[in-house]
Amino acid sequence: MKLRHLLLFCVCFPVVLAAQGLDPADIQKPKPGTWPTYNGDYSGRRYSGLKQINAGNVRDLKSAWTYVTNAGTPKSIFGSGDVKSTPLMVDGVLFFTEPDNVWAIDARTGHEIWHYQWESKGGIHIGNRGVGIYRDWVFFEAADDHLISLDKNTGKFRWSVQIADVAQQYFSTPAPMVIRNHVIVGVGGDSLDVPGFLEARDPETGKVQWHWNSEPRPGEPGAETWPDEESMTHGGGMTWMPGTYDPELNLLYWGTGNPNPVHAAQGRRGDNLWTCSTVALNPDTGKLVWGFQASPHDTHDWDNVQTPILIDGEIKGAKRKLLAVASRNGYFFVLDRTNGKALVSVPFLDLNWSKGVNEKGQPIPNPAKEPKVDGTLVVPASGGATNWPPPSFNPETGLFYFSATPSYAVYYLTDTGPKPEGYGGRDTQLWGESVLIAMDYQTGKIRWKHVYPGQSQPHLAGILTTAGGLLFTGDPSRNFIAFDPVTGKILWHAKLDDETSNGPMTYELDGKQYVVVGAGATLHAYTLQN
Amino acid sequence: MNHQKIVLLVVCLAFFVSDTALGGPHSPQEPTLPAQNTTPADKSKNGQQGPPPGFDFQKAVRDFMATGEPPDPEAVKRGQAVFAPNCGFCHGSTGRGGSGGPSLVRSVLVLHDAGTSKEIYPVVHNGRISKGMPAFPLSEAEVKDISAYLLSLVQATALRDEYKILNIVTGDAGKGETYFKAHCANCHAPNGDLAHVASKYELVALQTRFLYPKTEWFPGMPPPDPRELSTATVKLASGQSYAGVLNKIDDFGISITDASGAKHSWEFDAEPGITYEINDPLKGHRDLLKQYTDDDMHNILTYLETLK
Repeated sequence: MKLRHLLLFCVCFPVVLAAQGLDPADIQKPKPGTWPTYNGDYSGRRYSGLKQINAGNVRDLKSAWTYVTNAGTPKSIFGSGDVKSTPLMVDGVLFFTEPDNVWAIDARTGHEIWHYQWESKGGIHIGNRGVGIYRDWVFFEAADDHLISLDKNTGKFRWSVQIADVAQQYFSTPAPMVIRNHVIVGVGGDSLDVPGFLEARDPETGKVQWHWNSEPRPGEPGAETWPDEESMTHGGGMTWMPGTYDPELNLLYWGTGNPNPVHAAQGRRGDNLWTCSTVALNPDTGKLVWGFQASPHDTHDWDNVQTPILIDGEIKGAKRKLLAVASRNGYFFVLDRTNGKALVSVPFLDLNWSKGVNEKGQPIPNPAKEPKVDGTLVVPASGGATNWPPPSFNPETGLFYFSATPSYAVYYLTDTGPKPEGYGGRDTQLWGESVLIAMDYQTGKIRWKHVYPGQSQPHLAGILTTAGGLLFTGDPSRNFIAFDPVTGKILWHAKLDDETSNGPMTYELDGKQYVVVGAGATLHAYTLQN
Repeated sequence: MNHQKIVLLVVCLAFFVSDTALGGPHSPQEPTLPAQNTTPADKSKNGQQGPPPGFDFQKAVRDFMATGEPPDPEAVKRGQAVFAPNCGFCHGSTGRGGSGGPSLVRSVLVLHDAGTSKEIYPVVHNGRISKGMPAFPLSEAEVKDISAYLLSLVQATALRDEYKILNIVTGDAGKGETYFKAHCANCHAPNGDLAHVASKYELVALQTRFLYPKTEWFPGMPPPDPRELSTATVKLASGQSYAGVLNKIDDFGISITDASGAKHSWEFDAEPGITYEINDPLKGHRDLLKQYTDDDMHNILTYLETLK
């Protein structure tokens, strides 16, 4: 080898190493200390094995750095400028988003490495859950329904493809999910009764690999749960949150949104499959393997997109492959994730909209509590008994943790015609409070709960649990808190200048564990004080 | 679907709608808070103190909902007049589908037209003979007006916070009065604090407020009724005691404003032995929320509506 070549080799080799990026196998089995996908791993547990920060030393947890996004720009009162994404930590870099924006920052220091901004063509900018990474490519969904690929190391634009039509009021919020060479993308939008779908896209070209419709088409199984073709092809069922994946079963689990029109349901009598459901798809073909509908014929905007967490556990002494969801309608479900059969269906609040559960474990909606012209008083409000902020399952405590809100609203029907469009109704929220719930997944019994004091408007918060015997979450009073996950005792807190707005995450670099949370437009990182 | 922040949006709107647009509380009749009271503002979201006075909330919501600018109302009126006789038979008098023609409110072509008439004009001018739609010899200006009208229909469908709530006075006033006497009369009197309450509030605001009066507030909105605010008495280990309006309480501290307007805050960690008592005047409303049937709700509203 000539000296020049040797020099070239030496200069290029580290670059080549860095350029290998994130192998999809390292999402399936994350390298210790990394956080390579929205939920940290495919299970959706948001449980980290890291324990340098633990119950014994958490009092010494201090701010390591903060990063303020789009500093100096005025903030939207609708939360468009909040960090709702969970950062990915790959190769010592954090990747996170707000609508139309992606940042790569140094995970040790919080210094910006690159920032990419997409020129928006429209869409509701309510939030963005983050990126997916495949090798050297970063993927995110813009509010105007484009899937955009960037170079992970430079932030340089590679390509964009349109995945839905913003003129039809689709808008996109999920973090793309990478499984092998599939980039799974979902969509949102329910202003104008559009059908939901899920797609796999090619990471190199953005081309469609498969397309799954939330609603059946005429003649397909499930079509009998809609009155006609028009209702099912305008039926909603948005796929606006990332899903989970079981590599052994090769099943992709995804939650779907509510049916449309949202509140005025007289034009869509029937159960309206597969809205408000957990579905299991083959990630290579997009074919439905099973579905479980959490809210048959929903009329209250209670989508079922809350993280379907995969638990390898026990029910009644038998080892089972399980899937657990705390649903926006106020029910906690545990399913057999091989076949979708419900094993636990229990309300976690005092609800007043259902008449119990049927033989399949599905709540039976009480028609008297559907929206009416003069109003119906319903628990919970349309924001739900819980919502998208990520829950956590801790295998050591066997508890499923989530943020919930007992809340009341009056639901009005405003469109009484035979074929309503849009929402066809609205609700006025009355009162609600925020509660952190620790649920025994085997029984659906609440082991402990913490009611945050002094509030009348709920704030739901994402949750992280760790092997350090800690549960991290936020309260409605702008505190970031560490709880003891066994007892619910508060062990530590930090005052922030905003409520937490994403799911907290953790990673380890150079032997140091960090915990990171977003609150409004700021990302906060904490480490132990040396 | 609808995410958490939309809820906030609706909550905010509920204030604006119930307290301003619908002719809400005539605050001059009610005592106002000291200007330095920041309780509700502390609750405003996103680390800011709310929008400045004069902030056009409806426009902000429309911008957020990304439905585009509203069309010229005059063009909409003219367009409706052209639409009804020419298009209404097939597409319905409100454009939502009729005898053979599809709904135009969620027509992809209409949505892409977005009030420009660029997409609609060729269809109207040439017809869609294969689908049974004849050509209409309408002028470009007339089609432009139809296009504006259709955009107004699309926006009226998509902007759910502007939906008009219909008749909600459906109960039995007599039963409502009986319920009131049994459950509400301890705190409220129809010829006292509730005299003429029905002329102070629009119906939806009245219903919302009797179910649960709000305390959330930010600058630019009418201040809350001081009767809604919680008060607290705080006792320190030294025996010293403070009382006032509760500004904030969380798991780590408490803050009040006393009668002189002075603000006091304590961190529980720094104040061993601190105790406090909170009096929340809205507790009765919360307890009733858990008990009302829908009939109770309708009856009470119908009774309150008689208190003009």
